[in-house]
Amino acid sequence: MERNVCIIAGGMSQWGVRQASQRDVFQEAGKACFETIPALSNKDVDGLIVASAYTERCSFQTHLAPVIAEYLGIKPRNICARVELLCASGSSGIILAYGLVKAGIADVVMVIGGEKLYTPQRWEIQYSELASVDHDWDGSQGLGLPPPAFSMVAQQHMKKFGTTEEQLALVSVKNRRNGLNNPKGQFQQEITLEEALSAKAIVPPLKLYDCCPVTDGAAAVILACEEKAKYYTDKPLVYIKGTGQATVNNMSANMPDWTTWEALKIAAKQAYEKAGVKPSDIDVAQTHDCFTISEIIEYEDLGFCEKGEGGLFIQEGRSDFGGVVPVNTDGGLLSCGHPFGGTGIRQGMEIMKQLRGEAVRQVEGARTGLTHNLSGFIAAHTVLIYGRDI
Amino acid sequence: MRGISVLNGRYAVTMDMYPLQSKEFNRIYKFYDHLREGRFTTTKCNDCGVRSFPPRVICPECLSENLEWVDLPTEGTVKVVTEEVVGVPLGFENPLIHALIDLEGQLTHFARIINCQTGELKEGDRVKMAVFPVDPVPVDGKRGEFVEMERVFYAFEKVK
Ligand SMILES: [Zn+2]
Repeated sequence: MERNVCIIAGGMSQWGVRQASQRDVFQEAGKACFETIPALSNKDVDGLIVASAYTERCSFQTHLAPVIAEYLGIKPRNICARVELLCASGSSGIILAYGLVKAGIADVVMVIGGEKLYTPQRWEIQYSELASVDHDWDGSQGLGLPPPAFSMVAQQHMKKFGTTEEQLALVSVKNRRNGLNNPKGQFQQEITLEEALSAKAIVPPLKLYDCCPVTDGAAAVILACEEKAKYYTDKPLVYIKGTGQATVNNMSANMPDWTTWEALKIAAKQAYEKAGVKPSDIDVAQTHDCFTISEIIEYEDLGFCEKGEGGLFIQEGRSDFGGVVPVNTDGGLLSCGHPFGGTGIRQGMEIMKQLRGEAVRQVEGARTGLTHNLSGFIAAHTVLIYGRDI
Repeated sequence: MRGISVLNGRYAVTMDMYPLQSKEFNRIYKFYDHLREGRFTTTKCNDCGVRSFPPRVICPECLSENLEWVDLPTEGTVKVVTEEVVGVPLGFENPLIHALIDLEGQLTHFARIINCQTGELKEGDRVKMAVFPVDPVPVDGKRGEFVEMERVFYAFEKVK
């Protein structure tokens, strides 16, 4: 018998350039999560899913889930495993936990994800990124770090639809401002449009503030069946309503279209249909703003606006508080940073808070929320829809 | 002694930016043999006709193993140029230039452009494949000796 599944707790470590190890940040995130739900102890968790992409690469640690279980005092009985989908590892963990709880295989599952990316020598970060794409083909072309790919996407979107560098910059201005809503995010500083436009070039037209930073940190949420959710918390229940995850290609040479992300449209359609909602029903969204151009294309391919109108959508304030659908209300990747396995979990936490009415800056009356991650060389997309109503 | 003393002079595959490409480590080693002959090739399915890139050992369409090697164009036209000035991975030059290349309508390839300065390459320019040697791999041989496995890889360069 299928059960309703709720997200009942969430917490995160401080994110940024951390003087801490992988296991330190996971402990911090786990504790922060448990602290938000006093009635539930670490002994009540019967499943653990750990999301981390670079654990072998940067911490030389496989078999990570039992390590984290041991450090958090969790003794899982139903699932204890790691999931990896690079930038979408965290939201993949939530989808898997959702399925297990829905099916009755587990009742209370912690999904915890994060990365320790800063190593003693900085060159290693860029070098490690060669593993993120098809290593033997795209990686050997020096396409490890994503800025060249997103520069190309931006150039094509600008040419095809007239999107401007100013519209790109407005995304980072909004998300840096929203970052003030997340005291544990990497940046706590607003930027002006002039600062964004005059920042140093990374891969033109992308400049410093168009790109999310490299980040250490972790985040955790707890999913439970509705019955247990009611037992452990008296806060408003937030349900997972629908999910989708799609990939249509991995290597760059097989990308069907660079400015319309087909896999995103497929993942979104799956999630909307399962949740029984339309794009216009989404009150608040956290989307994958790894680069400013990404958020603009996501407005379009998630159906918040017409194709090609993403630039206008940000320019007219339709993705800001008071707009049609506030996007990245806690600062997104551009402000919070992006410890790959932690990102989807941070997004889920922020949506949970928004739908409970307890966010630092609240979208008034929000009842339905969405999270989106892209991962790899724009190779996979993951969408989850959360709601107060099931 | 700096760094990790036990690794002194040793090869770690997890630190290699290029694939292992000899017959002992790869069933598509012919791709690299062809590169040495100046040919850019991939596999095509003899059962369903689908041509894949990169080359495979099975057809991703019909799962047949009945594949043949076919040539791709070694020249193409630039569609988009990107110039990475910050954050270039170790082993690649700064600026690191890439282009989305239309290989005569047969394949769109996002590839590295070598022998090129910032601002030099433009949309519409012609580029051709360039093959170059990359670091050989020391493979365990008999009696504790290493056998050097020679390697090549490819990028593109402007047709001048
Ligand atoms: Zn076939």
